[in-house]
Amino acid sequence: MVASVISVAALTIATSVVASSSSSAAGVPSWCGPKKITMGFTDGFGGNSWRLVTTAAVREEIKLCPSVTKLYYADGQGKTDKAISDIKGMVAKGVKALVVFPDAGEAMLPALRSAYKAGVVTIPYRVWAGGTAGKDYTMWVGSDFVNSGRQWGNWIKKNLPNGGNILRISGPAGNSQGADESKGLEEVLGTTGKYKFIGTAPFEPTGWDPGKTQEVLTAAIAKYPKIDVITSDFGPSMVSALDAAAKSGWKVPAIATSDGNVLSCFYNDNKATQPDFKLMTVSTQNDHSRLATQWAVALATGGKTPKAKIFPSNLFEDSVSGKPSPVSCRKDLPGDVYLSAQMSGDLQAKLKTN
Amino acid sequence: MSSVQTREVKRSARLQISRGMKTVLAGVIILYVASALLAPTSVSRVAQFGMLPFAACLAIVGLGQTLVIQQGGIDLSVAGAVSLTVVIVTWGPDRHDNRLIPAILAAFAAAIITGFINGLLITKTKLNSIVATLGVNALLYGFMMALSGGSPRRTTDRLAHITNDKIFGLPHSIYLGIICAIVVTILLKRTVFGRRFEAVGANPRAALATGLKVERYQVGGYVGAQILYCIAGVVLGGVISQPTAYQGDDYVLPSVAIVVLGGTSLLGGRGFPAASALAALFLKQLDMFVLSLGVPYGVRTLVISISLMAGIALYAVNWRSVRSKFSPKNKAGSELQPA
Repeated sequence: MVASVISVAALTIATSVVASSSSSAAGVPSWCGPKKITMGFTDGFGGNSWRLVTTAAVREEIKLCPSVTKLYYADGQGKTDKAISDIKGMVAKGVKALVVFPDAGEAMLPALRSAYKAGVVTIPYRVWAGGTAGKDYTMWVGSDFVNSGRQWGNWIKKNLPNGGNILRISGPAGNSQGADESKGLEEVLGTTGKYKFIGTAPFEPTGWDPGKTQEVLTAAIAKYPKIDVITSDFGPSMVSALDAAAKSGWKVPAIATSDGNVLSCFYNDNKATQPDFKLMTVSTQNDHSRLATQWAVALATGGKTPKAKIFPSNLFEDSVSGKPSPVSCRKDLPGDVYLSAQMSGDLQAKLKTN
Repeated sequence: MSSVQTREVKRSARLQISRGMKTVLAGVIILYVASALLAPTSVSRVAQFGMLPFAACLAIVGLGQTLVIQQGGIDLSVAGAVSLTVVIVTWGPDRHDNRLIPAILAAFAAAIITGFINGLLITKTKLNSIVATLGVNALLYGFMMALSGGSPRRTTDRLAHITNDKIFGLPHSIYLGIICAIVVTILLKRTVFGRRFEAVGANPRAALATGLKVERYQVGGYVGAQILYCIAGVVLGGVISQPTAYQGDDYVLPSVAIVVLGGTSLLGGRGFPAASALAALFLKQLDMFVLSLGVPYGVRTLVISISLMAGIALYAVNWRSVRSKFSPKNKAGSELQPA
């Protein structure tokens, strides 16, 4: 029952943005114009389940639009030079639209610019790559990460009104997502004087790698005897560290993060024995790639562009209020599915190849 | 009587602690003392329990790299090998415990095949080891992508138990690291095979002249290395509950660094597996130390790099010639040179 409530809530959240511009005449969405094109999608790093679901979301969108005759995908494997040559390869293949997850940030700008100058509709999304829309690339489809930080901040303020120590962790050092989230957090909590940000500012870098996250978290757990809240923009990557620390007697604190089935199940397994463990998640935004795809296809095929330029940050689970959803795990599904995504958990579980 | 004495001399030579071992041991002790004084939390139970399983993985990878470096090569297929194993043992079973053992066996089969490919490319086609293993690394990543689409699955419960359950308060992963170090050390230092393996690495031509099947030992080094990378991959897959597809990327340079820190020459020959394994502990504790110091990320990277450079300089720099250049005797001599 709870699982079905979550699925419905997730679907509502995820589709609220992408569906607003997806009204179709004869099954074809409005963003899909008549001009036939081939399209490219390049990932700076494609080697985790989050990216797998995100890429599958792009494929689902493309299936709705018969004008896109072929979709090419390339994974930069976390190497900036490969990510750059992937973009050049897409241009050489003659794609007319290109969606890029520029993990390496501003290092990707020259490659984006060269694709744009070659006449390709170039849409970097999610990570800020610098530059100017209309000059270096067609447009940037961002997300409101400052608002994610604000949402975490408001939840912390409500649930730990007496203040506390907050540890912030994010991806690679200097990434724009982590910096924006920290900005939002500081905006809400920084003025109160009750909360102290511990660890390096603006966040402890982990590269979103579970191994590094484990090293960073265990060092922080050892260093700071009092951690009241941990914030992270990739909640599932914390689970192995939290589990190991909890088993050695550490008290799991409140956590404000992004969702993932493994994290929800970890919460359910530990809530009875960990009284301080409260969990709040924002949607992990696998569907951000859908909005970027719609923009790229609309501009390249002559379709109607979506209304939204920014993918919103939506609240997903709250273990205290149960709103918009209580925390619930689907034990029947793998840990690496994301119930906030538009694609169902069951379908995500079946994804195996790109 | 005299023969007994000769035997004793030989034995003591075998039991002799290498210069690399002494250096690394001193380094580890100094590092732990510095950690206890400057960043006491880095030696706390929680920090050590978080760090040691990763040190064990790095140690096992380093043991493999030691075997290759002993044969005068460098193995850059570490990244692909560890990543492929992690993917096979997590993606293969896909949460089903009953599929874990076949997946582990498949990973070992892939490792042995990869070792043979590496070894044969280097011995038969005389390819440079860096070029050959780099190519094989790309092949391994290609195979991994074709297999899983680049996304491993979550660790199965059984694998997590195998690596993380504890005996006498220590996780199995640590014991596995220690066992691997002991087995490789015994194999290299206490068996005829090991002595011949070192002889081949030190001077393949001389070894050939004595009738040793040089290529077999060289290929054996690469196969042994892959088996060890595979063990490390299995352990890593169990330690990290939700690994990525590129989990091995972090092991390439550290694996070479710890072999050099352990005193094994990059030119091949004698190997010091136990010292390599201990150097893995040094490197991981160094990570934990700088993390616990709470210094900014850039400073952390600098501290680690400088420490590594200092450690490697102990072997790479000819200190005797440096000393002689700066000794007063030489200076006086140079002053006497005609203008």
